[in-house]
Amino acid sequence: MAAPPVPELLRAHLTELAKNDERLDGRGRFEGREVQIETGVLPRAEGSARVVMGDTIVLAGVKFQIMTPYPDRPTSGGFMTSAEVRPVSGVHWEAGPPSPAAIELGRVVDRGIRESGCLDMSDLCILPGEKAWQVILDVFALSDDGNLFDAFATAAMAALRTAIIPGERFDVGEDRPLPVTKKPMMCSYHRVGGRFVYDAVRREEIGGAERIHITLGDDDHVHSLQKGLKGAFTADEFAEIMDHARQRCAELRNMIE
Amino acid sequence: MGGYGDVQMIDENGIRVDGRTAGDIRPVEIRAGVIPVADGSAEVIWGTNHVIAAVYGPMEAHPRKIQKQDRAVLDVRYNMAPFSTTDRMRPGFNRRSREISKVTAEALETVVLTELYPRSKIRVEIEVLTAEAGTRCAGITAASVALADAGIPMTDMVISVASGKINGIVVCDLNKEEDNYGEADLPMGICANSGDLVFLQMDGDLSPEEFQQAWDYNMESIGPVHELMIEALEKANGGES
Repeated sequence: MAAPPVPELLRAHLTELAKNDERLDGRGRFEGREVQIETGVLPRAEGSARVVMGDTIVLAGVKFQIMTPYPDRPTSGGFMTSAEVRPVSGVHWEAGPPSPAAIELGRVVDRGIRESGCLDMSDLCILPGEKAWQVILDVFALSDDGNLFDAFATAAMAALRTAIIPGERFDVGEDRPLPVTKKPMMCSYHRVGGRFVYDAVRREEIGGAERIHITLGDDDHVHSLQKGLKGAFTADEFAEIMDHARQRCAELRNMIE
Repeated sequence: MGGYGDVQMIDENGIRVDGRTAGDIRPVEIRAGVIPVADGSAEVIWGTNHVIAAVYGPMEAHPRKIQKQDRAVLDVRYNMAPFSTTDRMRPGFNRRSREISKVTAEALETVVLTELYPRSKIRVEIEVLTAEAGTRCAGITAASVALADAGIPMTDMVISVASGKINGIVVCDLNKEEDNYGEADLPMGICANSGDLVFLQMDGDLSPEEFQQAWDYNMESIGPVHELMIEALEKANGGES
């Protein structure tokens, strides 16, 4: 049966499916969509990736700029993430300045990468107090069929891991790979039909309630958590999805070079 | 136009930096139906240019003040992704993208049968993922395919191409290096079947003869691109276009 378009009916339908532990597209509760990762897809970016998860398609591009280091950290470079969910990616995304939802997306992806320490900021220093590299990560949605968070985080990691610092173009030394020492990965869970599912599609997001995003680094260290939307969850529920996240993040990590 | 006339961009045999002759366009690839969640979509790879267009609608036009009582409005947005250029492009609209969006909308409004959808809106989103030179042309071409892919009734398809002048020689479809050193640029949006023009801009310096040559190159280029558009639509829509 096709998913009903009216939110109330969609919610009822999802609850009905959940009773038999089913999902809209026939997946298991913790079964993710197939993930395709392709790197080197944007010729103007210094590192790039496209991630396809079902009908969700995103891009990530890494660019570099020369910055003046912050006065309190004269030997550190910078890292910035910007998430753009342009209206090209779905009828529900509107034109205009970044919505709170898009800003949250960018910030959660940013935190997972930043806090894992996978980028060595001191390695980005060119001349202490005067010149350093700023790494700018742009994540960009082309088609939103749910779970942009994980798609963005996966594309971000794949793009960063292939990025080349363009020293020659800026006349500050040779081109060299951006050192990215770890692979923090994100797993997202939505409450759909009363219980949490992994990798929700758009209609599950619409008919669902709160969501939880977990970013785990190598050795299962936790680097970022985010609970979004209205709803409450129990400690037991969290323990269950954390268990799954450990296993799934390891699988995703193996898909990235 | 840059106007650095002393840089040699065409050799004595009339061969350009990328191996083309004066009347050649860059290699073009077109695909339709590339954005699964959109009502219609297309991807145009034109040289190094990579442009995606998505169409949503017809849908309710809001706020109500944008509604037209006798026809649909085309809400066109042309945007360059931050990673589309050598130096990062800051996100957000600028004067250039607003102007391109406006002239693109006006070009497409001419061929879309907007009177079939009074008081509604058709959204056309053009995203430049990689920019080389001629992104507005690639955008109009991609939007045209996306509208057809969405099943929006149209009287014709628009193909857009630009010719220009480098080292005093008129050439078709300037690439980025040529554009940087170019002396003129004449982008045109041409209807595939009628040959009518729905989009026209120009800047630089062309003599009457040069202008005619540039015009003719553009007119001669659209046929093969139109065939690629039809092939892409047939492939995406199971043999019917």
